[in-house]
Amino acid sequence: MVHLTGEEKSGLTALWAKVNVEEIGGEALGRLLVVYPWTQRFFEHFGDLSSADAVMKNPKVQAHGKKVLASFGEGLKHLDNLKGTFATLSELHCDKLHVDPENFRLLGNVLVVVLARHFGKEFTPELQTAYQKVVAGVANALAHKYH
Amino acid sequence: MLSAQERAHVTQVWDLIAGHEAPFGAELLLRLFTVYPSTKTYFKHLGDPLDEVQLLSHGQRVLEAVGVAVRHMDNLRAALSPLADLHAHVLRVDPTNFPLLIQCFQVVLASHLQGEYTVEMQAVWDKFLTALAVVLTEKYR
Repeated sequence: MVHLTGEEKSGLTALWAKVNVEEIGGEALGRLLVVYPWTQRFFEHFGDLSSADAVMKNPKVQAHGKKVLASFGEGLKHLDNLKGTFATLSELHCDKLHVDPENFRLLGNVLVVVLARHFGKEFTPELQTAYQKVVAGVANALAHKYH
Repeated sequence: MLSAQERAHVTQVWDLIAGHEAPFGAELLLRLFTVYPSTKTYFKHLGDPLDEVQLLSHGQRVLEAVGVAVRHMDNLRAALSPLADLHAHVLRVDPTNFPLLIQCFQVVLASHLQGEYTVEMQAVWDKFLTALAVVLTEKYR
């Protein structure tokens, strides 16, 4: 369960309303793959990941980033039940995709940095706190069904 | 080990924040304490509620140490040896806290540099700050 104050929740929602899911999602996934290159192990079928530029411009990275962030956005509507919301995705990431849950934590942190980059001063310590809580909650929810 | 290209990115970013060690450092610490409250346990001397003057002073100290690291990228161990001793024998900050500080550092850089904060800079600074943390905790045992 993610414990957000009323203020944190409204701040979080207000910022999310301004997020371009396609742009931010693609950037977050791209930056994950460049900053932590070992994460590329899950995306060998994505084609050219040979340079930072290639990764950031890769259309499959962009598309997948958008998909991931859209799913995250859905999660924001169910902060009271992240485990339930992400149960099926958790099973998928364990049983079919074999993704170490540490990767969810890395992506969550990169997403926070990307939001800071886009929103600048507006991304206050309080907003960072709210988002760090949520990305941690989502990562835990995605790891919940692992066995 | 940083390549020449990577060292250039380190310096490039540092040049953008040099001269602003105090406010950057203060914001870094403020974010650390706000987002990860357990880190405050190492900073009782900064007061509760946080004293702004102390925050600026300590923030400056932290960023100045980063500046030392930037100037001695080729030999972090030697340059940071006194700080490594301090952390190992006096401060004894649990090593798991350094990634939290690094995350806040990334957020400060990203929120201030915005459009200028390229993916290459983010990658290199993550590598550089992680290497710094390794050096600071190397003498722990």
